[in-house]
Amino acid sequence: MFCAWGGNLARQLVGRLVSLIPILFGVSVVVFLLVRLIPGDPVVALLGMEATPEAVAALRARYALDDPWAVQYLAWMKNLLTGDFGRSVQSGREVLPLLMGALLPTLWLALAATLVSLLIAIPTGVIAATRRDTAADAFASLLSLFGLSMPSFWIGVLLILLFSIHLPLLPASGYVAPGEDLGRFLTHLVLPAITLGTALAAAIMRMTRSTMLEVLQADYVRTARAKGLPHRTVIWKHAYRNAQIPIITLIGIQFGQVLGGVVITETIFSWPGIGKLTVDAIFARDYPVVQGAVLLTAGLFVFINLVTDIVYTIVDPRLRLS
Amino acid sequence: MSAAASAPASARLPRLLSSPRALLGGGLVALAILAAILAPVLTPYGPNDTDFLAILQPPSLAHPFGTDDLGRDILTRVIYGARVSLVVGLVSVLASLVVGGIIGSIAGYVSGWTDTIIMRLMDVIFAFPGVLLALAITAVLGPSLGNAILAIAVVNLPVFARIARAQTMVVRSLDFVEAKRALGFGPVNILARSILPNIAAPMMVQGSLLFAAAIITESYLSFLGLGAQPPTATWGNMLRDAIGFLELAPWMAWFSGLAIFLTVLGFNVVGDALRDLFDPRTG
Repeated sequence: MFCAWGGNLARQLVGRLVSLIPILFGVSVVVFLLVRLIPGDPVVALLGMEATPEAVAALRARYALDDPWAVQYLAWMKNLLTGDFGRSVQSGREVLPLLMGALLPTLWLALAATLVSLLIAIPTGVIAATRRDTAADAFASLLSLFGLSMPSFWIGVLLILLFSIHLPLLPASGYVAPGEDLGRFLTHLVLPAITLGTALAAAIMRMTRSTMLEVLQADYVRTARAKGLPHRTVIWKHAYRNAQIPIITLIGIQFGQVLGGVVITETIFSWPGIGKLTVDAIFARDYPVVQGAVLLTAGLFVFINLVTDIVYTIVDPRLRLS
Repeated sequence: MSAAASAPASARLPRLLSSPRALLGGGLVALAILAAILAPVLTPYGPNDTDFLAILQPPSLAHPFGTDDLGRDILTRVIYGARVSLVVGLVSVLASLVVGGIIGSIAGYVSGWTDTIIMRLMDVIFAFPGVLLALAITAVLGPSLGNAILAIAVVNLPVFARIARAQTMVVRSLDFVEAKRALGFGPVNILARSILPNIAAPMMVQGSLLFAAAIITESYLSFLGLGAQPPTATWGNMLRDAIGFLELAPWMAWFSGLAIFLTVLGFNVVGDALRDLFDPRTG
């Protein structure tokens, strides 16, 4: 039985990995074309206006810029696969270490935002479903509608006004590494995490409510109630456990969307992650950094979607055996 | 198909129209549209009129939403900002709806390699977080209102293409389409006359929901300085300007954000209502 599960899971995993190949290829082509579509010479885009003739010649040779686009693409891919993402036009530093330095703050923020959203969304969604058509349910749906409609930057600005200016409790911007000072890291994290987590919470809450409503009608929930199990046990052990699969899927999808949302949140709170790096690079016309950041974020997005698929295949035995 | 779908929808319509939620959503959308159309009549100021004697004034009778750092009337700029948001929402959603609808229905009708290639291309667009892709496109093409519209349209394209493809696959196997094929009608005729009209309703529902998302994405681009350029008033760039004056003039941040929130709320509610009307299973 276990072998059959394992075999099915491995087959599904290989299938998903194979299906990713054309997508990752497409993503790399789009990112490759980003710089080529900028009007003018890509050398100027990649090196800046003040590049020396030697640097221009070296770049032309390294990226095969005098060859057809297909050859250029292959040269670019070869460099990428050896970890050569080029150099920042602005700082002259290699792009890969810049990206890696910004990745950790972004992951902290994304994880904290997801945690905030789950803490808000799961209890609210479950309460809304178990008290369907009551004032609590109406309030929860209104809350989720508001959460979905509020632009995150406005939430961020309102939070800064309230918690950093009127009640100076939390810092309005900046980042402290957790290894440096955990307390200050957490105080800097609170406002950006709430900002980013609110829209996420709204979507997860809606999904929790609708899935729980469906599960609460199921025979096994009725049986659990008929057996005289306490209400809390029926809700959390029987109903919620079975409602988790679509919720996990949505969390995965939303976590990917968070990677897009960090662009705004990191800009407002001066959080030195991938999002802020991308925006700063766009304004500095630092295209090697833009290219690297977009590629890394899209790659992470695809990877997270894959992990989501795998997790819900593991969580749901029906999918493992199908 | 359309007749079958529209009968229960028409039966549900009166109840839907009288629900407080739909009235609220419709009211907010109507308010935004009226503000955009009647902007010059609604306010005595121009959106770029500066008054250096009235810089950073708090809300008052003369300036109900206060003034900004250049002495411009914030209410006036919020009203004119509605124009940009609605135009971006409308044009970008229409563009992606039409293009996505056509390529999605071709993929669904023709199947085979055409379908595979089109849908893999859509998967590639889908593989980027929406805001990031919009940002990358405007970064390459340069910041402007037109490029922001194009970027948002590209981001939304796969959503419409996927819906159009799925709906087309359902409709193409229906009897009346089979009958037209048997009578010798060509694929262009069948797609244009039989399939597209029958997949229009779910596309419009999705369009109304994406309208709200388009307004938010435009405000993000403007906020980052990649949408319409100053001095054009947009809700996003007004909020961006407000960041530097949060302590001195917090009202600069209140009203442009509130305008985005209420307009997006209105479109979300209307979108939800339309979805319930045409597809009650998802309600």
